[in-house]
Order: sequence, then C-alpha cells, then structure tokens
Amino acid sequence: MDRRIVITGLGALTPAGIGADALADAVRQGRSAVRTPARFDASGYPSRVAGEAPEFDLAAGVRKDQTRYLRKNAKVMARDIQMAVAASNQAIVDSGLPIGDEKAKEPPLPTIDRTRIGMVFGTNFIPTELEDLATPIRAASRDGGFSLKGWGSHGIAQMFPLWLLKYLPNMHTCHTGILWDAQGPSNSLTTSDAGGLLALDETVRILRRGAADWMLAGGAESRVNPLLLIRYSLLGRLATANDDPARASRPFDLGRTGQVAAEGAVVFFLERRDVAHQRGARVYGEVLGTGASTTTAGINACDADGRATANAVRAALADAGLQPRDLGAVLAHGAAYEPQDRSEAAGLAAALGEAAGSVPVTATKGVTGNMGAASGLADLAVLMCLKAAEVPPILNCDRPDPAVKLNLVRGKPQPLTKDVVLATTLAIGGQAAAAVIRINR
Amino acid sequence: MKRRVVITGIGSVTPLGLSLEETWRGLLAGRSGIGPIRLFDASTFPTTFAAQVPDFDLAPYVKDAAAYAKAGRNVRFAMAAARQAFDDARLDPSDGDPARFGIYVGSGEGILDFDNLVASIAHGIQADGRVAIAPFAEFGLKSYDGLRELEQEPNMPANHLAAEYGLAGPTYSCLTACAASTQALGEAMDLVRHGRADRMLAGGTHSMIHPLGVTGFNLLTAISTGPKDEPWRASRPFDSDRGGFVLGEGSTMMILEDLDSARARGARILAELTGFGTSADAYRMTDIHPEGRGPAAAMRMALDDAGVRPDEIDYISAHGTGTEENDKVETLAVKLVFGEAAPRVPMSSVKSMLGHLIAAAGATELATCVLAIRDQILPPTINLDAPDPVCDLDYVPNRARKAEVAVCMNNSFGFGGQNDSLVVRRFIP
Repeated sequence: MDRRIVITGLGALTPAGIGADALADAVRQGRSAVRTPARFDASGYPSRVAGEAPEFDLAAGVRKDQTRYLRKNAKVMARDIQMAVAASNQAIVDSGLPIGDEKAKEPPLPTIDRTRIGMVFGTNFIPTELEDLATPIRAASRDGGFSLKGWGSHGIAQMFPLWLLKYLPNMHTCHTGILWDAQGPSNSLTTSDAGGLLALDETVRILRRGAADWMLAGGAESRVNPLLLIRYSLLGRLATANDDPARASRPFDLGRTGQVAAEGAVVFFLERRDVAHQRGARVYGEVLGTGASTTTAGINACDADGRATANAVRAALADAGLQPRDLGAVLAHGAAYEPQDRSEAAGLAAALGEAAGSVPVTATKGVTGNMGAASGLADLAVLMCLKAAEVPPILNCDRPDPAVKLNLVRGKPQPLTKDVVLATTLAIGGQAAAAVIRINR
Repeated sequence: MKRRVVITGIGSVTPLGLSLEETWRGLLAGRSGIGPIRLFDASTFPTTFAAQVPDFDLAPYVKDAAAYAKAGRNVRFAMAAARQAFDDARLDPSDGDPARFGIYVGSGEGILDFDNLVASIAHGIQADGRVAIAPFAEFGLKSYDGLRELEQEPNMPANHLAAEYGLAGPTYSCLTACAASTQALGEAMDLVRHGRADRMLAGGTHSMIHPLGVTGFNLLTAISTGPKDEPWRASRPFDSDRGGFVLGEGSTMMILEDLDSARARGARILAELTGFGTSADAYRMTDIHPEGRGPAAAMRMALDDAGVRPDEIDYISAHGTGTEENDKVETLAVKLVFGEAAPRVPMSSVKSMLGHLIAAAGATELATCVLAIRDQILPPTINLDAPDPVCDLDYVPNRARKAEVAVCMNNSFGFGGQNDSLVVRRFIP
C-alpha cells in the first residue's frame, strides 16, 4: 500500500468568493475582500470591518436528491455548517469521482466503498443565533423580569425543537456524511485557528494507517457573528481601523490594529497516491508531512519565543524528511494581531534557521481576514491554484514589523523556485499546526 | 513499525466521587450519582435532576487556582483529573522532551454566561421579535467578561493543560458529541503508535448541566424526565421502562505511553490499548441507522486493529444511554459483530449510575474497563428490573459480578452518528 497521500479535490467558500480559484485570484491581484459587515448592523462594535463570505447556493452542483435534503435541512444548519457542507460538495465534485446517477438509482459516489470514505473537519463551538432565543426570552419574562423559573415553564416550549443540533460542532461532518453516504472515520476538531491544518494532519494519519481510502479534510468557521465580535473585541484581538476596510487586515505590518473577523470554509479531498493514479485523478499536490504543537504561555497568550510554531514546523519537516532549505515558500498564519504575529514569526525564524533569510514568507489574511478554522487550508489552496510559479505578496504589509526576521514577500510576487511549501497556523493560547505539501503543476 | 501503547495513569472526577477509586467503589456497589439539579434553578424544567460532581476546591490540583477563576466546570474537572493521572502514573510532567508529550481531549463547551446572554438579547428585542444588534452589542460589550467568554471555547481544557504542565507535543481537542473522548483516546493511541509523540495526556471533560444544555436535550426529548421524586431510578439502560438518558458531568484523563519509554522509567503498566475503530452512521441527523451499521463498523475496525476475535472479548462497556433507540440498536450491532458469542459477552452500562458524561463518557467508561481487568469484576447496569425484550444480551443486571477479564471493548456513539470503539487488554509483556 502506497503511504503517499495526494490532494485531488478542492472546495472553498471565502470572502473572496465561491471556489478556490476565486480566492487565488483575489490573492494574486491583491484585492481585499474585507468590508463593512453587511449581514447585520455592526455599528455598535469597536471593530466594524469583516471578511464576509458571499451569498451562496447550499445545493450548488449536487444531485436532486441531495438538493432536497439540503433544502429541507438548511434551517437546522448554522452558517458555519452550511459553509462546510457547500465547500465539501465542491471538493467531492472537483475530485472527479462519479457522483452517481440519481435516475439509475445509484447511490452517491457509486464506485467507492462507503465505509472507506471519511472526514475530519476543523470547527468551533457555534454561538446561537440571537433570534432563536428572543421569543423564548420574552415568554419567560412575561411575569415581569426574566427568571429561570419562567424559562423552564414558558421559555423552553417556545424554542425551535432541533435548536441544539443547529449549532453542534460535529454537524458539519454529520450532514456531509449523510449527503454522500460516507461511513468511514469521522472527527470534528475544535482547535480554533489551527483546526483546518490539524484536520489535514489527522486525515493523513488515518489514510496512512489504512483506516480509509478517501478522506475530506476541512475547516469552517464564521467569526462574523454578533456574539463572537463581542468576545474578541473584549479580548482586544480585533482590528479597529474601520475607515478603510480594504487596508484593515495588515499581517506583519507595524500599522496593524488586530485581526479582521472573517468567515469561510475550505475542504480538501484526499486519497492515497496509488488510488489516485489508478483512477487517473488530477492531482493538485501531495501532503509530504504534518506537525502539531501547542502554546504553553496561557489561554489568552502566545509564546514570546514562538516555540509552538517552531515545534510544529520541525515536526512537519521531520515527517516529510525535509530540511528548511528544501522549502520554496512559507504560508504563514499572519493573523495581524501583534502577539500572535510576533510569536509565529519568531517560531518560523527559529525553525527555519539559516533558511529564514531566504525562504519567501507570505500570508493571505490581508485579503480575507481571519477565517479561523479555514486558515491554513485556504493558503495551501491558493498556492495550488495559482498558475504562475510565484509567491504572492502580503497585502497591506507596507511597513514590516522589524521584529519579524523573515523574508516577507511585499509589494510584488517572488518566484517560487521549489514546489514544496509549508503552511502554519497558530491559535492564540492554543494549538499550532504545520503542513508541508508538494504542489503539482 | 507500530509501537505498543500502554496506559500508565488515570484520574477521574465523576458524580460518584473525586477520584477514580471512589467512583469505582460506587459503581461496584451499584450506587447512583443522580440527584436534583443544584447548579441552577431547574425546578420548572421538564427535567429537574442530573448526576453532578460534588463541589471541590481546585487549589490542591493546580499551581495557581487564580488562573482558573473564570474557567468552566469542564476545565476544573480536567485539571483535577489530569493531576490525579500524573500522580497515578508517578510521572513528573516535566520529565522528557515536552515536544514529545501531547494532549488530546474530547471536550465540550465551558459554561455559557446565560444571565448576561439573556439580558443582552432582551436589550435588543424589537416589537416584531427580531433582535437589533446595536443595542445588543452595546449591552454585551459592557456586561460580558472577555476571558469568561473565551473559557467557553471547547479547546480551553487542552489549552489550560498545556499551560499548567508545559506540554508542547501534538495537541488536539475534538467534539464528536457523546463519542468525543473515546475518539480522543483512539487518535492519541495512533499518535504514539506511529511515533508522533512518546506520551499523550488524553481523555475527556464536559458539563452540559447548564440551562441551555438541559433545554437543548429536553427539546430533543433525549433525556429522561422522571421519576422526579426518585431520580436515581431515571437512568435505566436496556430496561423496558427506560425514558432517555440522564445528564452527568465530569472528566477522566489518562497517561498513554509508548511501551519502551514506560519501561525505561520503570512505570507500572495498568493496561495496553490495542484497538481503535471510528465510523459514521451517515444515516439521519436525529436517528441511528436501524441496523446499527455505524456502531458495528466501529466495533469491527477496533477488533481488527487489536487483532482479536469477537469471542476473545471478556466485557463490553456499552454506550448504553438508556434511550429507546440507542439500547435497541447497540444490542443489534453487538449481535451483528459478535454473532454466536454475543449472548456470552457481558455488557454493562455505567451510565445507569453516572449518567451520561457526554464528551467525558467514553474515557470514564474506558477507565472502568481498566479497573475491571485489574480487579476481575464487572460493574453492573442498575435499574434493570424488566429488560426490554429486544434487549436480550447479558447486561450484568443490578449487581457487580466477579469474572475473568483480560480483554475489554468500550463503545461510544455520538449524536450525529460518529461512532468509536476501543479495545483495551491486560498487559502481557
């Protein structure tokens, strides 16, 4: 059995548009997707810039029976879940596997053993939509003020019966699994910004150990959410440069004011190389190695020396059997929050060693803002979709932070001289992840 | 080459006690941990009882209890369980390369600030029932506490554990509903097996005994609503009178080690983790596949992975929630996988006593398998007075039972259809 794992399908829904090509185009053109939020009135927040995903058709590109399922169940899927399902559908269709003939009563993906197809998604706990609680709160408050007694006697009955399921962080995999009859290994990682790359890491291990033949690795999160904007504003993490949204997300720039809250979903379809070759699949890239670590500085802090990132990068390179000098580019998390940027940069510099001065380092969040769990996979998707062998510049990195001792790509692209790239993600106070892939051009 | 993975330390905080041994004594005595909800006023809720962890002081378990002032119960439980796991393993957390010591926690949310959530939404409610975001945000920005909000994110137990112990290896948290900690232990085993880490601190922690947790499960009619005056009788897996599960809470954390490094430090080995299976039902959002195909696939994969035949399994720690559907389908799935051996394999549900610890359930149930191997005794399924005719296996009814136990299986099936099984066995050098 071939232990080499390749990427044969891509799905994306990001502030830059629908599909991975839309994201790659925006990054290549340096076109910001950050705006004043349009889905709800953000005037009451200190941060009024966001990377919102466009309106999308949840059932685009799928069979009629799947469309029926999605139309029926959309109301029990919070936005994060809808985005994940839509991006998963894209990735599966993009893989080129026959999705079956509904009229001929074929199941979805008729040519594969459905116990051998699984998925791992990076997700996060999804806050409730406020309106789901509004009527119950009013009902619970009818004898004057709100009380738990009133909630129990009058509020609960006013709730949407499937309310809990609308927000569970494993429903991305649940719905995608049902839709495609995917009965293999299934996991939902809740590791914040590191979720997508850790999903890729676990997916690769599952394929290598032979527990599945086909896997989806995804990340999906919406940070453009009334409750999360309060949370991350209170923690001082969000950008406050509200006057010029297109310039608000500034990775590694001295003028950064914080992260731009964004939303998106990116999903990879993966399989063993021998399986992909046998079916003549188009191969976007090969996952050479993955690595993981964690911050130890506390739940709301980043290691000053960047050891979490350094550990993850070293582990990924070791897994790939490569040296830092073998890398053609680094796709940094670059979330544009100072402690996180500096920690990541220090960790990259430490892990890259002598190569730190030469390997081009870029970040795409200048264009999209921070899509949370979709990060990392989004950056890799960009590099796999770019036609030219070049590393796109970091949008809005005009005055690089002098604390960052890396070859930041600024202003114009740098040539991609080797087809091996490293992506890293870092959750504040939490997990770090790294993946090395070889791009197939 | 696959490395062997052994369990060298376990710590638990459960409704039956603040240690694994106390929990175990309670389970063998057939004691229920279920009582009236005292964490909040649930008197008018459809369900008024749960299995709650006794109050405890966190200070003895952590370096600086002040760092946990805003933490949820999930974090507090995990910290207490982890400290006990290290003590049980006689392992200094700073021993060895921290980058080779990872963490994998199946964990749920911290406690929602329900009062402020309600107050802020109430502030924005318009006459038409919609919520105006500007007044909501204005109120929320004044009344919420940023760190308390952060503590709700489900990776907080992992993040606190990393900070407390300086562990910097591969770190994950997962939330596959009721299967989360079984999954965490399975994937943690894989990380050690394949050399990604030498040690893992792995397990689960959760409390959904909060207003929205109970509300959510009541709405799904998944939890039992009675008998209110005798709540210890409410959790009745496999019984014909069963009416849903009872919410529990708690944590179990384990130290997993590569056999060679465990030997090198002269560790006492509690058991060997040998098999892991994971699958998805891919059937319906709210129902289990009627033929139990997902649970059966997870069990088969775990048996294959462990290289054991079904008739070599001495005990199954059932998912056994006490819902109509789970117990019926789990029974069916066990029959599918175990065939003729099924009636001879004792299978009990400690949820009859502990309630359902949700993300912490699987790890806690695996711990009972390890102690069953140690003490050669099986914990019972209590309240099994009149077994459902479709539940016709040996559920070890009502009384603990002496047995020869060398190899056990632990099952966890999550809401939404994610299924996980583990095989654990007596360590044989």
